[in-house]
Amino acid sequence: MSVKTKSVCEDSAYKDLFDLHSKSLRNFIYYKCGDIQQAEDIVQDAFIKLWDNCSKIVFEKAKSFLYTVARNNFLNEVAHKKIVLQHQANYKTDRTNESPEFLLEEKQFMEKLQAVIADLPEKQREVFLLSRIDKKKYSEIAEMLDISVKAVEKRMSQALIILREKIGDNI
Amino acid sequence: MDKQFSKDNFLARWISGDLSSQELEAFKESEDFVVFNKINEASQKLEAPIFNATGLFSKINKQKSTKTSQEETKVIKLVPSWAYGVAASVVIAIGIFYFANKQSSFNTKYSEQLAVVLPDQSKVELNSNSHLNFKKLRWNSNREVSLDGEAFFDVEKGSTFRVITDEGTIEVLGTEFNVVSRDNYFEVQCHEGKVKVVNIDRNQKTILTKGKAVRFVNNDLETWEFNQLKPDWLSGESTFKNTPLLQVIIDLENKYNITFDTSNIDENKRFTGGFTHKDLNLALKTVFVPMEISFSVNENNTIVLNSASKIQTDK
Repeated sequence: MSVKTKSVCEDSAYKDLFDLHSKSLRNFIYYKCGDIQQAEDIVQDAFIKLWDNCSKIVFEKAKSFLYTVARNNFLNEVAHKKIVLQHQANYKTDRTNESPEFLLEEKQFMEKLQAVIADLPEKQREVFLLSRIDKKKYSEIAEMLDISVKAVEKRMSQALIILREKIGDNI
Repeated sequence: MDKQFSKDNFLARWISGDLSSQELEAFKESEDFVVFNKINEASQKLEAPIFNATGLFSKINKQKSTKTSQEETKVIKLVPSWAYGVAASVVIAIGIFYFANKQSSFNTKYSEQLAVVLPDQSKVELNSNSHLNFKKLRWNSNREVSLDGEAFFDVEKGSTFRVITDEGTIEVLGTEFNVVSRDNYFEVQCHEGKVKVVNIDRNQKTILTKGKAVRFVNNDLETWEFNQLKPDWLSGESTFKNTPLLQVIIDLENKYNITFDTSNIDENKRFTGGFTHKDLNLALKTVFVPMEISFSVNENNTIVLNSASKIQTDK
């Protein structure tokens, strides 16, 4: 594979890495801190650091390098503010022609869900959102977080249980 | 809530679609399933905020390029900082060298006499037209003076006291003595204690005791005895004993700041006697009448000396 022989210092390879990882990385940090600006700053720093050290990092290791740097940056910064996750207002709907009543209920439910997700502990929230929004496999999440797949599954389950409890039966 | 759902990874496996069909059927029948399913479906409709990848990438590129250009224009100091240290050290070294070797210097001109007290209270009387140098630093362990001309030394007891001249070296421990050192003439008179005289050219050592004197005229050694306690020149009179006439004339020149034309006389004649420092005419008479030499002042203020016998023969 030609990718394997690439050097990170080559502009094309560097661009490839950016295209591949920047969005997930941004979302990953965003799920942690709930601050778009901060998340993008951290992504930017991580890629700059990757460039500074490009001669020392093989292409295949770049991803884990990026995630490690981003995680560390995140930990180094943050006074962990109360998280307010802002998901795009116009979420997808797969149904049409719903009654206004249904739409209202739906909207209320989504607002509640968002609030509850934002209230999740950071560890569970990032796993849940990476899985549900970014559609990452557990193994990918495990790699991003540098933890085992088992741990990811456990966090995922815990997240669901907490959400279930907080939302209650009132749906 | 059914307990089996809260088991470690049951829900996680459900999300990833890894439940067996039996498990899934059972789960679907539980009342929790509706809620879980709704949470799952709803959460998948969420989206993360729009990610402006190109904008971020151009930002990164900008930062990259500023960094590289910063590295390219790295400033190299014209004068490296260690150079200041070196410069300071050199200045300090020169300073130390200068003060360690600083010499105290005393000069007398024509007609002058000077009394010098050395750091250990030893006294030096410097006769006219003479130079005395010594180092003040660590004087007590290194008593050493250099002399050109004539001087009388009264040395306090202590470590070896050295007088270094071009013609020879005198070493003493504590004593009084008089030294004359001029071109090709070296004379030491010991007034008290013991004096060791070393002539430079012949490396000849002579020990003088009180009342003994030695001189080297053109490297010929002569000794004699005397009985003054102090040299007479300290009390306004120069005395000589069988001294070459040239040294007498040099002494006259130093005392009265005059010059002699000696081309017509024999400078190696010996003179015994003295002259006063106060009256030039009297001094000239006392020196040259006994030597049968006539003197006259010419237009250059030079005193021309003529041997009397020569004048007669010229006539």
